[in-house]
Amino acid sequence: MTAPSSRVSRYRVERAITRALAYAFLLALAIVFVFPFYWLAISAFKSKDAIFALPPQFIPQPWQLENFARVFRETNLVRAFFNSSIIAAGHCALALFLCSLAGYAFAKFPRAPGRNALFAFVLGTMMIPGAVTLIPVFVVLCKLHAVNTYWAMIVPGTASAFGIFWMRQYTAESVHNDLLDAARIDGCSEFGIYWRIVVPVIKPAMAALGILQLMNVWNNLMWAFIVLRTESMYTLPLVIYLLNGEHRTPFELIMAASLVATLPLVIGFLVFQRYFIRGITAGAVKG
Amino acid sequence: MQHDVRKNRRDLMHRMWRHRHFYLFISPFFILFAVLGLYPLVFSFVLGFARWDGLTDIRWLGLANFENLIHDELFFTALWNTLIIGLLYIPPMFIGAFVFAVLLNASWLRMRGIFRAAFFLPSVTPMVVVAIVFSLLYGQEAGLLNYLIARVGAWLPGVEGKAVPWLVSEQWSKISVAILLVWRWTGYNMVLMLAGLQGISDEYYEAARIEGAGPLDRMRYITLPLMRPIFVFCSIMSLIGTVYMFDEVFVLTQGGPGTSSTNFGLYLFNTSFTDFKFGYASSMAYVVAAFVFVSSLTILRWRRASET
Repeated sequence: MTAPSSRVSRYRVERAITRALAYAFLLALAIVFVFPFYWLAISAFKSKDAIFALPPQFIPQPWQLENFARVFRETNLVRAFFNSSIIAAGHCALALFLCSLAGYAFAKFPRAPGRNALFAFVLGTMMIPGAVTLIPVFVVLCKLHAVNTYWAMIVPGTASAFGIFWMRQYTAESVHNDLLDAARIDGCSEFGIYWRIVVPVIKPAMAALGILQLMNVWNNLMWAFIVLRTESMYTLPLVIYLLNGEHRTPFELIMAASLVATLPLVIGFLVFQRYFIRGITAGAVKG
Repeated sequence: MQHDVRKNRRDLMHRMWRHRHFYLFISPFFILFAVLGLYPLVFSFVLGFARWDGLTDIRWLGLANFENLIHDELFFTALWNTLIIGLLYIPPMFIGAFVFAVLLNASWLRMRGIFRAAFFLPSVTPMVVVAIVFSLLYGQEAGLLNYLIARVGAWLPGVEGKAVPWLVSEQWSKISVAILLVWRWTGYNMVLMLAGLQGISDEYYEAARIEGAGPLDRMRYITLPLMRPIFVFCSIMSLIGTVYMFDEVFVLTQGGPGTSSTNFGLYLFNTSFTDFKFGYASSMAYVVAAFVFVSSLTILRWRRASET
């Protein structure tokens, strides 16, 4: 009688040790991964001397709150924040609308002539690397007089093949055909069906795609560098990059500006994390 | 016969008209693709055979751009650097992402949301900011990393504790870029792998447990094979991401010291928008795109071959 129970308890002990090790491992690495954020946050509250002090200060002495007042006064950060917000909102709204509409069409019109060939074509465009088309897209935008406008940042990348694929997968699985048929019989217009029936159901997938698009557009430096020309149009990454490049800007202000540019997405992600993970998971399971 | 063809065509037109909303709903993609995808693609291909600075007339060169490319040392340096940086950061990133994903998928784990957020947050941070913070941490004299190395050296006999020239030596610059990339992209791959793990039905594991398979067997015969599509997706994304990476090196090292961390993406950008050699840049982009395309197909073949 004693043998099995001792085996069970040994198993329990082993399991407890494994789990404790797993927690220790995850916790240690989580601290390493979060540490640069901590360093960013406290550096934004330090004086210039404190940022480069030896030994390094893990807690600012003193807390220099005026960094933020100064960065708003002495740089065009407010304008850049405004520009970034307009561009991010426009880009995400347009991308979600176009991708979900096309995804719905590909998922729920199985008998439309040429559907499969058209969908294969959409997927094929994923193979085109952005680097190849960088120069011509710039030339096209020049011709359309879109350089140095919000449009140059908003439109490219909205009708993404990846987004359409994503929305199609989710729509095909989660929107029931009976619901669409019932709405059609009731005389709902095709666009009305999309707007009132499909969109509410596919919200998790839209949240996930929205965060991915937001990450790209909010953090984009290269394209902003190419198409934005005057200071009044600059986005946050571009302003911070340029402040960092010209050496007369006090470094503590660059850190404060960096914190301002980072917080919106970090907070947004923490708030919507549940939605985001659920949306990603749903897309991958079906994919 | 003639009659039949005409009837079929009318029938097709009729069916297309009945599905007009389908075409209407997908048309924005095709219009945008024509203007910002197809036309640029053709234009860029044509430019590969010409010299153009964007202002003066286009001059045809034939194959001269491609001949120059073969003799362009910096081009090959950039490809070499791309390869080395990729080899330095992709394996640890992949292994880290997979281990995190497996642990975060365990049913007994608490505080899952906190761990997930901690690992994923680097991916939502503006690259400029990441590079600025890392350049602080990498500082030669006052950087935190060198300070910690010195402290460890003072405590532990045998450890030298010498300052590492993170960003100022040609030997270390690639490693510094690679560390930053691991930090930034591990969480992103973790989320993709986590999604893949959650898609594996519990029934497989149940069945394996009843058959007496241990945790290692379950990993080897269930998890790894079923995760292969996700691994393939992550591999192709990493390949493309490494070749065309720009922001990371542009802000952290500007490709230096010397050309030691200039990767292909940065070289392409400099050729295009610093030197304004649009023709040369296009020929270069096409050659590398062809290489990336072939590599992606090879990765996909590996997936198919293993599915039999």
